[in-house]
Amino acid sequence: MVEMSMLPEECISYIISYTSPMDACRSSLVCRLFRSAADSDVVWGRFLPHDLLHILSELDLASSMDSLSKKELFSRLSHRPVLVGDDRNRSFAIDKRSGKNCYMLGARRLSIEWGDTPRYWKWIPNWKQSRFLEVAELGIVWWLDIKGWIETNMLSPKTRYAAYFVYNLNVEYNGFEERPVKLRVYLEGQDGNGDETSVFLKPPPNMQQQFRERADGWMEVEMGEFFNDGGEEDDHRVLAFSLFDFDGNTTKSGLIVEGIEFRPKGIDR
Amino acid sequence: MASSTSGSSSSSKVVKIRSSDNENFEVEEAAAARSETIKKLLEDVGDDADVIPLPNVDAKTLVKVMEWCKKHMDDVDELNKEEMKTWDAEFVDMDQSCLYNVLLAANFLNIKELLDQLTQKVADMIKGKSPEEIRATFNIKNDFTPEEEAEIRKQNAWAFE
Repeated sequence: MVEMSMLPEECISYIISYTSPMDACRSSLVCRLFRSAADSDVVWGRFLPHDLLHILSELDLASSMDSLSKKELFSRLSHRPVLVGDDRNRSFAIDKRSGKNCYMLGARRLSIEWGDTPRYWKWIPNWKQSRFLEVAELGIVWWLDIKGWIETNMLSPKTRYAAYFVYNLNVEYNGFEERPVKLRVYLEGQDGNGDETSVFLKPPPNMQQQFRERADGWMEVEMGEFFNDGGEEDDHRVLAFSLFDFDGNTTKSGLIVEGIEFRPKGIDR
Repeated sequence: MASSTSGSSSSSKVVKIRSSDNENFEVEEAAAARSETIKKLLEDVGDDADVIPLPNVDAKTLVKVMEWCKKHMDDVDELNKEEMKTWDAEFVDMDQSCLYNVLLAANFLNIKELLDQLTQKVADMIKGKSPEEIRATFNIKNDFTPEEEAEIRKQNAWAFE
């Protein structure tokens, strides 16, 4: 009669690597043998994104990776996003439940109409709640137009993702209770396509709240969702996400933009 | 038993293998070669091979493994993929003791696809369970002190949210 606990530890590690990060954590509480097997690099190496070295290539974290166990690395990246890219205008994190890639494009990485005209938009460095170097604060505009793009090969394959607009409103906000903003998701180059939805970034008093308060102090609204197949033909798909409103009679002001976040659908931040 | 030369591929070569409990089996070479270990042994000994001894696998387990190898001997076309999936699901539906024996054999014989299927089967028995439920499923004794258990639970707190 062979029992599970008679299997070699490598075998148990291999089995646990076929579960999920949460299951592996719970497994480490079963017994000593399971703990040793469940905490191993074999297990957590399989949960980490396979292109992690590429993602972190310019970070200090990449060089210190060797001194961390794979589980420590996973834990760190799932609890605290790191800034990546040449300009550090993107943040990368791992979803702790699934181990899938999450990105946020900082305001500097977005296309903001009139963004370089200080009369309309200001760039504020070292904003206390922000993970990025700068946030964009809206002075006043009639024409609100913010776009972000993501290459789908940066995201985990076979996963349903959603994009979230992450923002706040300062005390002088105006124009957001009066009118909703329009949201659209489309394949880059096919601007005419894609469903348009609308959402109140600040609902009028008689309406149900449409934004969600995040644990990091920001608010967010979902811009749209998409399934990332990750197959060969999908490799170079670029998706565009836009937030737009124009009304000749209503000015908008007081919007603070943190960025646009992409994370697997059904996960709250 | 697993010894057979019948069927459509009667022209194929037959090899002899011996289990740890000294039972001999005749298996089609194409089936036996699903095992990288046996394949390598066959290449090493060439045509002089008499019987290939497999000291780590008993007869009962070897029968199971060769049953799988025979089924997976030929490439599966699209049409039969679903049928094969059903067959595989039924194949791994065995009692735990048998499951681990076949898993260890698949590991030793280096049959990756079979090892993956068995590993997935056991992994599915772990998924979504609490530590207590995992212990109950696999008949495992908790060998932590209450202090150790509290500490590990703290370290892995996010998995219990």
